[in-house]
Amino acid sequence: MTAKKLFLFWMLLLCQIICAQQDTIVKLKEVVVSDLSLQRFSNSLSVQKLNDSIIEKNQSSLTSLLQYNAVIYFKQNGFGMVSSPSFRGTTAQQTAVIWNGININSQLNGQTDFNTITTKDFESITVRAGGGSAIYGSSAIGGSIHLNNELSFTNQFQNTLALNYGSFNTFGSNYKARIANQKISTNISISRNSSDNDYEYLGTKGKKNENGQFYNTSMNVSFGYKINAFHFLKMYSQFYEGERHFSGTIASESKNKYQDFNTRNLVAWSYLKAKVKSTLKVAFFSEQYKYFENYENYDFETSKAETILYQYDFGYLIHPKLEMSSSINYTQTKGTGSNIGNVTRYIGSAALLVKYQIFKSLQSELSIRQEQSNAYSSPLLFSFGMHAAPTQYYNIKLNVSRNFRMPTFNDLYWISGGNPNLKAEFANQFEIGQELHGKHYKFSATVYYNAIRNLLHWRPTNNQWSPENVGKVNSYGAEFLFDCNKKWGVHKLNFGATYAYTISKDVASDYQLTFVPYHKFTGNLAYAYQKFGFHYQYLFNGAVFTLNDNKTILKEYSVSNLGVDYDFGLTNTYTFGFQILNLANENYQSVPSRPLPGRNYLINLTIKF
Amino acid sequence: MKFNKLILAALVSTLFFVSCTNDDTNNNYVPKGNYDSGVLVMNEGNFGTDNASVSYISFDLNSYENIDFSVINPGEVIGNTGQSIAFNGNLAYIVVNVSNKIEIVNRYTLKKVGAITAGLNKPRYMAFANGKGYVTNWNSGTGAGTVAIIDLGSNLVTATIPVSDFPNKIIENAGKLYVAHNDLGQGGNSITVIDPSTNTVNATIAVGDMPDAMAVDGTTLWVSCQGKSSYPIAADESAGKIVKVNLNSNTVTQTFSLTNATDHVAYFEVFGDYAFYVLNSKIYKFPLTASALPITESFTPTADYIYGFGVKNNKIYVGDAKSFVTNGTVLVYSAGTFGPDSIGTLLATIPVGVAPNGFYFNQ
Repeated sequence: MTAKKLFLFWMLLLCQIICAQQDTIVKLKEVVVSDLSLQRFSNSLSVQKLNDSIIEKNQSSLTSLLQYNAVIYFKQNGFGMVSSPSFRGTTAQQTAVIWNGININSQLNGQTDFNTITTKDFESITVRAGGGSAIYGSSAIGGSIHLNNELSFTNQFQNTLALNYGSFNTFGSNYKARIANQKISTNISISRNSSDNDYEYLGTKGKKNENGQFYNTSMNVSFGYKINAFHFLKMYSQFYEGERHFSGTIASESKNKYQDFNTRNLVAWSYLKAKVKSTLKVAFFSEQYKYFENYENYDFETSKAETILYQYDFGYLIHPKLEMSSSINYTQTKGTGSNIGNVTRYIGSAALLVKYQIFKSLQSELSIRQEQSNAYSSPLLFSFGMHAAPTQYYNIKLNVSRNFRMPTFNDLYWISGGNPNLKAEFANQFEIGQELHGKHYKFSATVYYNAIRNLLHWRPTNNQWSPENVGKVNSYGAEFLFDCNKKWGVHKLNFGATYAYTISKDVASDYQLTFVPYHKFTGNLAYAYQKFGFHYQYLFNGAVFTLNDNKTILKEYSVSNLGVDYDFGLTNTYTFGFQILNLANENYQSVPSRPLPGRNYLINLTIKF
Repeated sequence: MKFNKLILAALVSTLFFVSCTNDDTNNNYVPKGNYDSGVLVMNEGNFGTDNASVSYISFDLNSYENIDFSVINPGEVIGNTGQSIAFNGNLAYIVVNVSNKIEIVNRYTLKKVGAITAGLNKPRYMAFANGKGYVTNWNSGTGAGTVAIIDLGSNLVTATIPVSDFPNKIIENAGKLYVAHNDLGQGGNSITVIDPSTNTVNATIAVGDMPDAMAVDGTTLWVSCQGKSSYPIAADESAGKIVKVNLNSNTVTQTFSLTNATDHVAYFEVFGDYAFYVLNSKIYKFPLTASALPITESFTPTADYIYGFGVKNNKIYVGDAKSFVTNGTVLVYSAGTFGPDSIGTLLATIPVGVAPNGFYFNQ
């Protein structure tokens, strides 16, 4: 077993060397995105972009995509169930999810359930490691995940239909249309996923994942209109509706059912001239859940949050070497629900971003943000970074930042136990990253240190659970990303790997936080020969502690997936593929007593016309 | 001070040693299993995880073990949320709330002999009468409370007795069953009396909000009523009380009320001629003949979160669940009823499993 793993590792390592000697042409196309800061103010951080070709090869949930392609660790209550991330050893509320530039973490519980995001609705997904609160606000402590819809203004009318069907009656479909000319660009994406999800629990004499069925439907529309040479209108709209039955454990059945209903809308009007960039944004988003303890019953708990956001950004190029940008934002969120009552929260913020090119090869960036809210007190947020590229093949990055996570509606107003006197969690972070890159490869190594304070802990006192700002955590570690592409003749090869070493310790007890593995490794290999494609994914997840006293361990696991596909199309694309997921039939859990599926199969068909 | 304690410790251990030797020579007592002559601790585990467990602490406090159920019973786990244990003869019935089952094991070896897996819905507590088992069920979904009747030969639920909502603790006394209704929030204020010979409800006794523990002393049934908690309606929070019920007339004969609405009697036990209870994380003791509750506590255990409480053999067992996301401990104190140690003297601190919620004495 170990020998086999080692062999695989060497195989993969060998590939790196092969890749490194080849060259490819990277095609860039001009696209318009809503999240401008991601390009302009992320030079001193480690940024990993997962484009549509990677998104297509993965399962459609954001959990699956990032689990196999990024350093982030995921904890899943069974396949498709609630999924929470841990990025750089932080909690689930300390990773921000940014939709077209807007932070969409739940106002109710502060996190995004990564199984409620359908990746195929986006043209690209970017993982930005490290502190980002000065730009993106709450939760960008471990890092942020950016869901981007990219509009391109070239004449096109392109349709993509992707269908898949597999074990456990798993069905997935996605239809995408891109319609554009020089002036107007529209992207439409509609997805539907469902599964009986009744996989067998390996090694349990035939027990199954009962009550784990789910479906979700989502639609994403992006629209861009060039009014004239300087004025630009963009609109983004998303709708997500999902219902999941929450499965039980090996030794207990469940009758829980959970429904999500989320909408997100954004309108941005930009004025862009040589030196001036001005954007006015208005966004409206809503989230609602319904929780049925017993689906046979009509009783449910529900909460809803509606947010309206106004933001104005003004950027000015003072000097070719000095760029400034400012942003003011006002956000109002109204929460209502079974457990929070009726509350409204107002947040105002102002941010200043400066980018200065000291030398040709040395850049610095600074951002400062202050938030003011009626619900909690927030520290001054900042980020300062340097980026040096002494040679064409090497660059070094340094960043220091202060980030925060605001208390959620549940933390503040939960009936009963919510604590209205909470402060925001904050974290001071420092990191150094180095990058080696050539024409067809990129290797980066980053080390970081993150001191997280005022951590919210829900603790019981006198039969009453209540949150308090008591936790102190120091997390530090190293991340390595490698990616290479090579094309020669009709052969195309891509290899990517990530590795994270993470220490995240509670300062008082010196114990590693629960559900933070010391090691996580991912590897991806894709090879294409003419119209034939092959891809292989590998994930190693180190053991995690499940209790604070570090006495109970959930063992490590490795899972791999294999897929082949062939394009039968002549002018259009008709790709037919077959995938084996969990190739080695590994019996594994990411949450104790909740097994994940053994070996299973999926066929897929993608038509582009 | 320390010297004094040392001498005391030496004296106490001599006493122990002597008494042990006597036992051995006089009775030739052969333990019935590894877990005889000690306390079984029910560790509830984490809600939503199959990590309920049982720990063992010997009466002399010299040995303890967090029992690995799956080693004694390969391929088996206790399950999700261990609620309580009930003894009947040589058997222990482990009631597993979220798993909707009862594991039946030999109480001295924890070797599994069977299970009740059908007909239970959020089972809470179990008692035995008239050769049958009686299990209180909350019945998630329908909400209506029932007491399930178990055939102890086939381990099947043969019938259910409908009772008021949230039947919780159940005890047997003189051929009758007493069920306290308590939803752990603000619901429940009565005790249902069941006649197991006819399996019908005999009487309903209004006692006070949230009746919890019941203990029999002669013809008196002691009932601790927690009082309404602050959930779901904060304004409805009410003070707890301790009541005495005359078992012949099924009427409340005496009521000891607490003053503040935030005073909730958390646990209550009778041992010998004394009653013990927990209030605001402090332990109180009073003679059963008292006409009023004590004004001051006997001592405050050094527990982060008291989640289990038991009194036996002049010892007070306190289950500390700490933060619930870590293993708990059991703190053993002298009950101070006899012997050299005054009440509250810490005798042992023993690591157990997650969320120790109850103590069951194996002797």
